[in-house]
Amino acid sequence: MRGIFSVLVENKDGVLSAISGLFARRGFNIDSLAVGTTDQRDISSMTIVSTGDERTISQIEKQLNKKVDVIKVRRLDETRTVELEMLLIKVAYSATNRAALIELCSVMGAKIMHVSPKYMIIEMASDPESIEDFIMLCKPFGILETQRTGTIAMAKK
Amino acid sequence: MNGAEAMVRCLQEEGVTTIFGIPGVAIAPFYEAIYNQDSIRHILVRQEQAAGHAASGYARISRRPGVCVTSSGPGATNLITALATAYADSIPVVAITGQVNSSLLGRDVFQEADMRGATSSFVKYSYLVKDVDDIPRVFREAFYIANTGRKGPVLIDIPCDVQAQKLEKAFSYPENVDIRGYKPTARGNKSQMDKVIETINKSMKPLICAGGGVILGNSETEIRSFCEKFNIPLVSTMMGIGVMPKKHPLYFGMLGNNGKPYANRAVSGADLLIIVGARVADRAVPKPDALEQRLKVIHIDVDSAEIGKNLGPTIPLVGDAKLIFRELLNADIHIDTENWIRTLEEFKKNTVDTRVFSEKLVNPMTLVTTLSEKMDDDGIYVADVGQNQLWSADNYVMKNGRFLTTGGMGTMGYSIPASIGAKYAAPDKQVVTVVGDGAFQMSMYELGTIAVNRLPMKLIVVKNRYLGLVREHQEKVYQGHYSGVALYDYPKYDKLAESYDMEYFHVDSNDALPEALDRFLSCDKAALMVCDVDSSDKTK
Repeated sequence: MRGIFSVLVENKDGVLSAISGLFARRGFNIDSLAVGTTDQRDISSMTIVSTGDERTISQIEKQLNKKVDVIKVRRLDETRTVELEMLLIKVAYSATNRAALIELCSVMGAKIMHVSPKYMIIEMASDPESIEDFIMLCKPFGILETQRTGTIAMAKK
Repeated sequence: MNGAEAMVRCLQEEGVTTIFGIPGVAIAPFYEAIYNQDSIRHILVRQEQAAGHAASGYARISRRPGVCVTSSGPGATNLITALATAYADSIPVVAITGQVNSSLLGRDVFQEADMRGATSSFVKYSYLVKDVDDIPRVFREAFYIANTGRKGPVLIDIPCDVQAQKLEKAFSYPENVDIRGYKPTARGNKSQMDKVIETINKSMKPLICAGGGVILGNSETEIRSFCEKFNIPLVSTMMGIGVMPKKHPLYFGMLGNNGKPYANRAVSGADLLIIVGARVADRAVPKPDALEQRLKVIHIDVDSAEIGKNLGPTIPLVGDAKLIFRELLNADIHIDTENWIRTLEEFKKNTVDTRVFSEKLVNPMTLVTTLSEKMDDDGIYVADVGQNQLWSADNYVMKNGRFLTTGGMGTMGYSIPASIGAKYAAPDKQVVTVVGDGAFQMSMYELGTIAVNRLPMKLIVVKNRYLGLVREHQEKVYQGHYSGVALYDYPKYDKLAESYDMEYFHVDSNDALPEALDRFLSCDKAALMVCDVDSSDKTK
């Protein structure tokens, strides 16, 4: 199963390594990790997505809670959560398929950020599943490079 | 006031009177501040690992955080095994390490080691102090974190220049601690408490399994009273030895791999197991999943992450054992356990030890039994790791004293420095160390600390000329291919004792044992007793 954790931590040096070290040491998976500051400067917010059985996911929550620099841990319910991920993708094109790529972007809600004679850099902000779909659909054109931010998530209530 | 003087002030504010360590250039300002005061005595050990173990022994007996100090680089890295040991056993230790000047951090200069990074999985929390004015807050928090919730070691790494800097603000020791991410739970949740009481009332064959957490939480009295009031039997883990006297009618021994068969039968026969302050690790309960299918389990621990870590669905109760059992003592519990207790007594009576010991030399079981019976009622017995530990745990006759050993990490060489710490915490109490000849040689440099400080320590070396527990394993699993385990007949213990001004005793038969022990225990200076044990004697 998938576990999405929204974690508030002290914005201090060593905290990110303490958290990633915890996952490494106890053999927990990190599928994605996104970190940023919050509206309070001394607090950072992390969204951690992991997979494992129920015992593992609940251990992750408890072990995160044990960390002195962790202020709050919320395990988010997948069905009641807004998830967002950002993608930058560099896709090759030719005269024959240029229109098709532009159409794909428009259908999927992706934005063309840069166009050069041989490739486009496209941006997409969406839920992780749509990002996966979009990458798959870009494959036939020729993907030159991708960059993903990792999921950020927020509970609906 | 400079940083180093502030550090000493902080220790004084915490009521620290004894610290263990070894100086070096990176911690020199602190040692200068120690030199200029007289309320804190510094015990110079012979290797930094021993400073950590001594602080652990001190903490366990004084029931306050133990303090150890080292310099930077190798001095600090030598401490890591001791920190890992204290972490595994949840012992409150505050470790202060000197660090290279803050301007040089990260440049791999002489004797620089990244201690925060190196110890990150072996400490409860760590600090690298970069601002001298942070010292009072950091010390206050470090002692608080080490000694609350699930206890454990905390590291304070302080660059040399920060120790030497003048404080800009006037020194003020914070009265309260407010760490927003650290609020340990003390009282049990009301509805969980009700569930626990209801479950106990429904059980016919309840059993308490007490771990080291009971002792760390100073809750032995409460748990004993609870067992006595409701007639509930108790078994312990190795770290829980001492929760009840061995001869208590409700005590049914240590469980687990190396425990009493009747204690394990008690676990199998119970319909409700109440685990208190124990990790349910592999040595105590080899197949926890099988357990949870058979009986109801209540798991009480101050660390919520322990509950459900090794054992599946249970009734969890997070909180401080002392407070919880104080409440449970007044709970509405009515159960009749007469028959259950009778069954357990039968188990105990019918357990026959089939182990065969060599007749020629000292029987290690007889040694432990005779020794612990002859010890003062409130004496402290410190066992090392290896066969000596298992024989000790199995046969120690707990009266009103303490049994110290390292159960979690199993660090050889723990006992001698831990005993030194214990002796400083309780100078009037008898402290006896039992150690194998393997572990003895990993820590015998501490005889220097014992000699210089004229500590009347009592060390017993259980000598079988092998790393005995590994040898036993090789015999069982590898057809007796003894690989890298022979120690032969060294050192010459009589000469070693003489060179450290210790009384020397040598026993090579059971007959000579009682009288030799009497003389050994009544010796008013440090004494070393070597007991020859046959290398074929086994723990199982």
